Amino acid sequence: MSDKPKIKVATAWLGGCSGCHMSFLDLDERLIDLVKLVEFTASPITDVKEIPEVDVGIIEGAVCNEDHEHVLRTMRVRCKVLIALGDCAVTGNIPALRNQFVLDEVLARGFLETESTQIGEIPGIYDGDDDVPKLLNRVRPIHEIVKVDAFIPGCPPDADTIWYALTELLAGRAPQWSEGNLRYD
Amino acid sequence: MIAPKTITVRIDGKRCEGALGQTILEIATANQIYIPTLCYLKNLSAWGGCRMCIVETDGSPKAVPACSTPAMDGSTVATNSERLQHLRRMTLELLFSERNHICPICPMNHGDCELQNQGYRHGLDSVRFPYLYPILPVDLTGKYFGLDHNRCILCTRCVRTCDEIEGVHTLDISNRGEKNRVVVDLNTTFGESDTCTLCGACVAACPTGALFDKAAAFRGKLNACRVVRTTCTECPVGCGLLVFTTENRIVEIFGDTESPVNNGHLCVRGRYQTWAEPRNRIQRPMLRRDGKLQPVTWDEALKVIKDATRQVSDWQKALLISPRVTNETVKALKQVGAHCDRVGLFVAKNEVAFCGSLDFAPEAMQRLEDADGIIVLGAQPSRDNGIIAAKIRRAVRKRGAKLLIFHARKSDLDAWADVAANVVSLERSFWKRVTDVLKEVRRPVLVYGPGAMTPIGITVFERLIGVFEKKRSGSAPHLVPLPITTNSAALSKAGVEPLEDIAAWLDVQPLNLLHIIASDEPDGGARMLDERHVRTLLEQIDCVVLQASYESPLMALAKVVLPSAIWCEKSGTVTSFEGRELKIEAVLPPGGEARDDKVILEALSA
Repeated sequence: MSDKPKIKVATAWLGGCSGCHMSFLDLDERLIDLVKLVEFTASPITDVKEIPEVDVGIIEGAVCNEDHEHVLRTMRVRCKVLIALGDCAVTGNIPALRNQFVLDEVLARGFLETESTQIGEIPGIYDGDDDVPKLLNRVRPIHEIVKVDAFIPGCPPDADTIWYALTELLAGRAPQWSEGNLRYD
Repeated sequence: MIAPKTITVRIDGKRCEGALGQTILEIATANQIYIPTLCYLKNLSAWGGCRMCIVETDGSPKAVPACSTPAMDGSTVATNSERLQHLRRMTLELLFSERNHICPICPMNHGDCELQNQGYRHGLDSVRFPYLYPILPVDLTGKYFGLDHNRCILCTRCVRTCDEIEGVHTLDISNRGEKNRVVVDLNTTFGESDTCTLCGACVAACPTGALFDKAAAFRGKLNACRVVRTTCTECPVGCGLLVFTTENRIVEIFGDTESPVNNGHLCVRGRYQTWAEPRNRIQRPMLRRDGKLQPVTWDEALKVIKDATRQVSDWQKALLISPRVTNETVKALKQVGAHCDRVGLFVAKNEVAFCGSLDFAPEAMQRLEDADGIIVLGAQPSRDNGIIAAKIRRAVRKRGAKLLIFHARKSDLDAWADVAANVVSLERSFWKRVTDVLKEVRRPVLVYGPGAMTPIGITVFERLIGVFEKKRSGSAPHLVPLPITTNSAALSKAGVEPLEDIAAWLDVQPLNLLHIIASDEPDGGARMLDERHVRTLLEQIDCVVLQASYESPLMALAKVVLPSAIWCEKSGTVTSFEGRELKIEAVLPPGGEARDDKVILEALSA
């Protein structure tokens, strides 16, 4: 083991399907190479309440609710480099489909009007009801809220794409996107 | 004609020659220099709206669109400077942020979308501008295709195609600025449009997933499909098809841009009707036992027919063929010797006299392209031959050609016609009007269908010829006979007797065996039942063998049913109305146990 201090990485899962994290795990044996260089701190599968100060933050998902916005802003403050991972973080993607509707309609459809609902209730709409974070009027990609240093598009970006982008960034270079490695799906 | 002056342009340091009047894009493309485009489409007028093809040229401080800027002799052009790349990237960012381009849920995803491909090409990993997320409708009312405004980039390729190729101008652009929207007619839907011909050319022209074929959506990516070049057998025009298939199913059909007949354009019959509609196929040979049709093997079915053939005398058996069969099927009939001596062709109404006297009309499509006056007599191109209707609309709307229509049934072409006579008058004033309209016409084309063979049709024909004989200038009309059924002309020339009256033909001798080859007639050959007495006569025949692709009421009268391969499952040739012998390629393996008509005939005479 080298004595070089490891680069600290935190990942967060905002409004997305976690497919990008799954795709990240698809790095398979390359994860072993990766942990030689980096140390994972907070992630969706670690029970860490407060995001620590890290070198690199990786964000999956769009900003859909107040909690997402809070996590994102905190990450921005505590991460030296912030990476948008996947189409939801980069463009809003599927979660942003609800921007075509008024928020009240979306909530009513989801909590009151579904075919299986018998007695429905929209959570978190009363003052002081903080059990669930309130939805924002509009779903937005993360770079519309904070500065983002690198983008890895894809729904999800496949493991090779993630590997390419991470290794480039670890080597201190910006990933060069072209027809060969860029995917929006 | 004087050849246009040759000019020289230096594009990206390469010396390129072109003709005076050519655009920078045309010269660059001819010299293998790639300039990205979105709103440009070959064969359409230049629009210059998307700004992807901008280039720098030494005449102008501004970047200019290569698609609509004529190249200047001796000029220097740069197509890929850093500034241009920056501007193109920004253009793409604006396009992506303007509407809801959500690639993962788009049928054109995976390399079929030109916008997505340009995004990749320009390394667009994010969009700096805030997404507008406009609220936009999706029109799914159309029979074969949908319009999703969320994915529209307003390139107007659909609008220009609809106007310049199909000639109906159903589509246009409404409103201004960010409210710009493609509209159908006067802001209605495809389902309610009364001008849309369902030709689907707009879908073929769309660079994104804004216009998409419903039957093709999410069925496979086109760029990974097998593509087979074949011929449409729905009508005698013989348009070239490109059939996209994957895993032995058709994903989508487009016109073949290399076909001299249709130059890539298709009508609804070739583009959709053959594959985008459910039709019930006859899957396997069937034999009537105890009053019910029951599946049997090919060997059993063929044996029953052979035995029946042997038992009856020659004059008691007959073969009735659809005019959709290939030339090879009839050749096989000649070579192997038919199992029936009497062979008839069940053509369309009034087509017999037509087939008898018919000459092919070589270069008819080119003549229509050049005509300054078109007369349509007893034919219905907008119903039967959409490609010819499109040519006529273009001639009238773009070149100001005169159009005269003599047909009992109304059609959309009547609106463009100078004379549209649904009821033909013999009055002097009417014919004076016809004469006046034709006065200045120099290159007339007379397209006539089987309807011209009726007494009234012949009268009109003779009067028209009279009008031209009296005319002092211009040539005599170029005659274009246009049959209704696909291959009737060639088959009757090959010696199969076209039948005016099927009932009379059946009734000449009481038959014991009748073999009907309906082939892939969409109605399974059932149209013959519309003729008087045919049903009764068929019921009297001991053994009716029905060889067809699709289920029909005829099956109820059949003793033996044989499944016939459809147009995309057999190879051979058909002869178009221009006399072109066009190749049909087998695109798919036969559905169920179906076999090519030719193969079945050979097996029967073996």
